[in-house]
Amino acid sequence: MLFPTIDFAIFFAIAFTVNWLLNPYAGWWKLSMLGLSYVFYGWVGWNYCLLLLLTTSVTYVGGVWVNASNTERARRLAMGVSVAALLAILGWFKYYGFVSVNLDNVTHALHMGRAIPLLQVGLPIAISFFTFMAISYVVDIYRRQLEPAKPLDLAVYISFFPHLLAGPIVRGGELLPQIRRRRDPNSIDYSRAFWLILAGLFKKVVISSYVSSAIVTPVFTSPTQHSAPEAIFAAWGYAVQIYCDFSGYTDIAIGLAMLLGFRFPQNFDAPYTARNLQDFWRRWHMTLSRWLRDYLYIPLGGSANGQGQTIRNIMITMVLGGLWHGAAWTFVVWGALQGVGQSFGHVRRKSRERRGLPGVAEGPVRDWVQRFLTFQYVCLGWVFFNATGMSQAFAVIGRLFTGWGEASPLITPLLVITVLGTLASQFVPPLRIDRLQAAFSRQKVAVQVGLLGFALLGITTFGPVGVAPFIYYRF
Amino acid sequence: MGDARVPPHHVDWEPEPEFQSHAHAELPVAGDRRARAPWQHVLKLGVAAFALWFLLYAPTLQHNAQVSPVGTRRTVSLDVTGPVAAISRALQLSHIVSITGRGNGLGGPTGGLTVSGPRPGGPPAGGSRPKSGSNPTSGGAGPTTPTTVPPDPKDPTAANPLRVLIVGDSIGIDLGNALQPDLVQTGVVTAALDGRVSTGLTRPDYFNWPAELTADLKSQNPQVVVIMIGANDAQDFLGPPDVPYTSPEWNTLYAQRVAQFMQIAQSGGATVVWVGMPPMQDAGLNAQMSDVDAVAQQQAVKTHPPVTYLSTNRSLGTAQGGYTAFVTNAAGQVVNVRTPDGTHLTPGGGQVVAQQVIAELQTLGYKIP
Repeated sequence: MLFPTIDFAIFFAIAFTVNWLLNPYAGWWKLSMLGLSYVFYGWVGWNYCLLLLLTTSVTYVGGVWVNASNTERARRLAMGVSVAALLAILGWFKYYGFVSVNLDNVTHALHMGRAIPLLQVGLPIAISFFTFMAISYVVDIYRRQLEPAKPLDLAVYISFFPHLLAGPIVRGGELLPQIRRRRDPNSIDYSRAFWLILAGLFKKVVISSYVSSAIVTPVFTSPTQHSAPEAIFAAWGYAVQIYCDFSGYTDIAIGLAMLLGFRFPQNFDAPYTARNLQDFWRRWHMTLSRWLRDYLYIPLGGSANGQGQTIRNIMITMVLGGLWHGAAWTFVVWGALQGVGQSFGHVRRKSRERRGLPGVAEGPVRDWVQRFLTFQYVCLGWVFFNATGMSQAFAVIGRLFTGWGEASPLITPLLVITVLGTLASQFVPPLRIDRLQAAFSRQKVAVQVGLLGFALLGITTFGPVGVAPFIYYRF
Repeated sequence: MGDARVPPHHVDWEPEPEFQSHAHAELPVAGDRRARAPWQHVLKLGVAAFALWFLLYAPTLQHNAQVSPVGTRRTVSLDVTGPVAAISRALQLSHIVSITGRGNGLGGPTGGLTVSGPRPGGPPAGGSRPKSGSNPTSGGAGPTTPTTVPPDPKDPTAANPLRVLIVGDSIGIDLGNALQPDLVQTGVVTAALDGRVSTGLTRPDYFNWPAELTADLKSQNPQVVVIMIGANDAQDFLGPPDVPYTSPEWNTLYAQRVAQFMQIAQSGGATVVWVGMPPMQDAGLNAQMSDVDAVAQQQAVKTHPPVTYLSTNRSLGTAQGGYTAFVTNAAGQVVNVRTPDGTHLTPGGGQVVAQQVIAELQTLGYKIP
């Protein structure tokens, strides 16, 4: 079920009412929320619910097994097997097709028989997200940071519909305590929740859709037919499109959870204001960043063993983070670019610190130069991220060298205002938005209804018919 | 509700030491100045705002329902939106949306016209930029410059490129996304792609393909028209009277629509290639596509001059014409040609059909390198 649909609006009205009516009764609340979440997930295909159930079962057994193991060696074995089982499920659905085709072509070239059967495995929506949550749960128990949850609590934790499809990736330590405790029915932060939902809808339905159709899709579909300025605006435009798409989804998810009495972690913090790649990854998809840090980078050794191994660990983490998005070379290059950018920042920071300088050079002009260069580097990565293949990515980049002096009919004043305006909006202090929300919450009910109704009308009127699925649904 | 007390029979929630009870609504909380409210208030607020939006937007929702696929969902949507839209119009509330110019027919189906390739009479392809006309909705490639001896379309050059128009539904777009660049890369073809998602020939109320094709022919003046359409056509014709897909009249009416579409495509003297639907994974949809393909195949023969019908049953299917997700291409490599929905084409699948179309054009005498 997609958030920006009438189907979901009706579903949520029911879920909201059930959530609060059953709030005093823990067992019934958990059962109802589990049922609602499975209805939400199974809306497009009930067979996917079996996968969710399988992942939940493996996670539960893994958690119990790890916790019941007495020796460190046994705990490690239990954790390893459980994580491997979860990764096997993910790998089957996400990478089998890619691996089987490429393996078949290798064996064909070597005049050998077919190594493994060719099968087309459909990618269930959200599998990466709930698998990451499941892995973090098992590893946190192994690290003694979390107690095993009851089966029903765990099932609600993994399937809870506001985060299910595309995050944020909420840790067991963050969500399980909220699931176990009764929520206050009289203290809903509704002005902030409605703001997040409407802002998320606006970003997704209006901005992301417009930028995609106005510049990104035409240029990426036939890059050689577009000028260098159009190619630049397509890269900037995709930066805006994916930010509005993904942060829009996250805003809606956080707002919905808030209406149900839950708090989710922040997932975006003005990422295009970042002054270097490390800063960017502290602001972009923050829950994935810390997941990669805690469950991949640090277990690899982190930065504890010298500069060479630090760089190696950064590169492994970011390339695997790229591959998480899909089995394609474009994602590998995107991940490698993030790794190279972060490694460069790491080396530079250490070098400056050795000379007794601050890790990052500061100053008003330098700040803006750093922001500008970081944004351009991020956009370079986005070209690979969005391209259907390496040739398309290089064709778009190639226009920067060969596409000058051509007409740029796609760069309209509206597009320029939209792209630059969205980027500029990241510099608006959160305090001003808080004041707007506070002012809204003090209005009379009739005024609030009017503001919400007309805001929704504006979004639906200026958005396209049939909103495309969120980009991150396919990951 | 509204009480923050734990019910006496409640034992299974864990204790919440920091649980704050707000007996009164709208109490500010330390740290911010946003008022909070009980859930009943929030529910009323949300429902009222949604109802206001529904009243204002009902005419557009009704229109969207009218052009949606026939079925229970459409019927229910029309039943719900109809009376509310009538109230909205009676109260003249629909003007609020109308003044934005984005009321009924908003946006239409996803897709549009893009043109790529060398400009007629322009510099040879392979220069710094073969052609700069890729611009949605505006054709950059017009008719060729009149000369004393009209250039032979079957022997195109960069100065006098072959003009190809590709039209279709979402599967047609899958083909066009591969065929358009493949043709343009030859340096002697200008290719325009007009693809519209979720469209077909049975529902002109949703998207009028004959009118669209007529406009495309006028703006592009193509010498070759490639059509791949039909994936959404196995549905009822809306009347009155409605013609159900399962009725015997449906085939007759659909044949007329296909024949008319072929004739429009040929009206400017273009060679027309009709690409059939591939085998579908879903047995029901596969049977429907067989019906649709059979009609197109019959009409291709009946049209004067005959339209070239290109079956994809073998190129995208098994040796028996059944569904498969993987085929072996001319280079002997296994290619995943179908998306996991079992309906659409992957870029690799589009490439397979694109090469099939180019080979067919070469067979028809077009000298495409």
